[in-house]
Amino acid sequence: MSVKYIPVQWNPNKWFYDGIMLVGVFVFLWVFLEIAPGVLSHERPINPQIHNARAFGACAFVMLTIILCIGPLARLDRRFLPLLYNRRHFGVMTAAVALTHANYVLGWYFAFSHIPPLEGLLSANQSYFQVAGFPFELLGLFSLICLLLLAVTSHDFWLKFLTAPVWKRIHFLIYPAYAALVGHVALGILQDQQTHMVSALFIGGPVLVCVLHLLAVVHGRVKADRIAKGHGWLAVANVAEMQEGRAKIARLPDGNRVAVFLHEGKLSAISNACAHQNGPLGEGRIVDCLVTCPWHGFQYDVRTGQSPAPFTERVPTFAVRLNGKIIEVDPTPNPPGTPVKPVPLPEAAP
Amino acid sequence: MSDKPFFIGYMPAPEGLRAFLVIVAAAVIGGMAGASWVLGVGQDDPGPGAVRGDYGRQNLMGIVELVPYPLLHVVEGSDTIPEGTTLMMSAGNKAGVDARALPLDGQLAAVSGVVMERGDLQMLQLRGGRRGLGPGGGPMDIPEPVDMGRWRLAGEICDGKCLAGAMRPGRGLAHRACAAMCLLGDVPPVFVSSQPVDGEEFMLITGPDETPLPKEAYDFLSQYVSVEGTIKRHGDLLVFSIDAATLKLTN
Repeated sequence: MSVKYIPVQWNPNKWFYDGIMLVGVFVFLWVFLEIAPGVLSHERPINPQIHNARAFGACAFVMLTIILCIGPLARLDRRFLPLLYNRRHFGVMTAAVALTHANYVLGWYFAFSHIPPLEGLLSANQSYFQVAGFPFELLGLFSLICLLLLAVTSHDFWLKFLTAPVWKRIHFLIYPAYAALVGHVALGILQDQQTHMVSALFIGGPVLVCVLHLLAVVHGRVKADRIAKGHGWLAVANVAEMQEGRAKIARLPDGNRVAVFLHEGKLSAISNACAHQNGPLGEGRIVDCLVTCPWHGFQYDVRTGQSPAPFTERVPTFAVRLNGKIIEVDPTPNPPGTPVKPVPLPEAAP
Repeated sequence: MSDKPFFIGYMPAPEGLRAFLVIVAAAVIGGMAGASWVLGVGQDDPGPGAVRGDYGRQNLMGIVELVPYPLLHVVEGSDTIPEGTTLMMSAGNKAGVDARALPLDGQLAAVSGVVMERGDLQMLQLRGGRRGLGPGGGPMDIPEPVDMGRWRLAGEICDGKCLAGAMRPGRGLAHRACAAMCLLGDVPPVFVSSQPVDGEEFMLITGPDETPLPKEAYDFLSQYVSVEGTIKRHGDLLVFSIDAATLKLTN
């Protein structure tokens, strides 16, 4: 959480996260560029520029595969949530690695010609209507543009400026970017590749991403959000289900979700969507009397939907009432930051 | 209340989560190292093509012939390039020497450059200007080409320079756009036949009646194709004049 925009608000976890990812990138490049050539028994070596392009391209592919595995892993096992926390930095690293790959390609395959490199990239191969021989470089270019767009807009300034829903929609470009990258690899290097392990790895990455996403979908259906029932006030849970400091989430008729928290024996309801990145507040906890988002730790007073001063984030609140043992909410949200008096549970009532 | 550890990014990682995160961090680094190893050591051999700077600069005399790409029939060779050799020629970068060779068609020329070599395939990359290709003594008889009849061949159309060693690898689909740019720059195109013809695996490829390679053929660059055409031997180099309408992708 921050009250002003600075390039990066560092903390030890971010240093640790970025350090690990940077070590991973350096190890990848070191093995590819320094160790592997000593093992290859080629009569003559691959051109250094091509070797570099391959190293950075392969690294970007692996990095993007890891990035896309983090989301579903965090859905399947909450212990992976810390990987989600600073994923944007890993995405920016990926864009930088991919840009380096593109720079090597443009500076070698598309250089040394009377045709400018970018013009050559866009015009040298015009076989758009055939699979084998398709200008796969354009798929890589599309993927790179997406990655750069996501990297440039990754800062919280853009999140605030564009609003979380728009920002999130833009950042779903990560999926077309990955699909284009898979096409780039499949129609490019894999067409010539004769080593099965390489093909298996390039195919296995996207398969892993798909399988994890499918498992996350299945997992989500098994643990499907309860649907608030009724007319007017909607039933969301039984008091017996509530745990101190935790929430029950229910989907409202308009598709939005409400999170009903039990805090110090009293019930309060706020929107389930964090004002930061629409993170699932109801999957968070109350820490130091504040609802804490499981994604990035943004906090809100459960009674008001307001972040503690000096922070300014706010989420909508909902009116809560008890109908016997049934907890009901008014499905009409209050404006963000509107105080609502908590409802004591019967056993906690004076 | 559940006692599962709850991670908050700006707080120290919960005790119960630290060991797991260390394992994940090790797995990420180890996984990236492993992936790099598989991808790095799995790279295919780029072939034996090379720029033979170790041969030194070649200063040769020969007869220029345009078919329409410029060939040199060597009449005064070197230790590396003996008399009687027929060479394809290109300029530096992705460029041919057509404009420089045109006034010397059928004439003796003095050439200077460096050899690129891949098996029997040789390409001479000339120095710039008249130092690389200049008049050497007037008209001379071009060796009479030998007609070897009509053939149907399977193989790959490449640019002769990258294939000969300017790039490693210098063939295949990943190299396709580069090959197209080379050919657009008038680098002589080469056909790599899957079966040797008269002992030759590499041959210059042209359009019908030794005209420039038609643009339709560019759609088939760097792919395994079959194509029909006539072959003539010019000196010790085969020239395959294709009928582009017969180009087909093949397996």
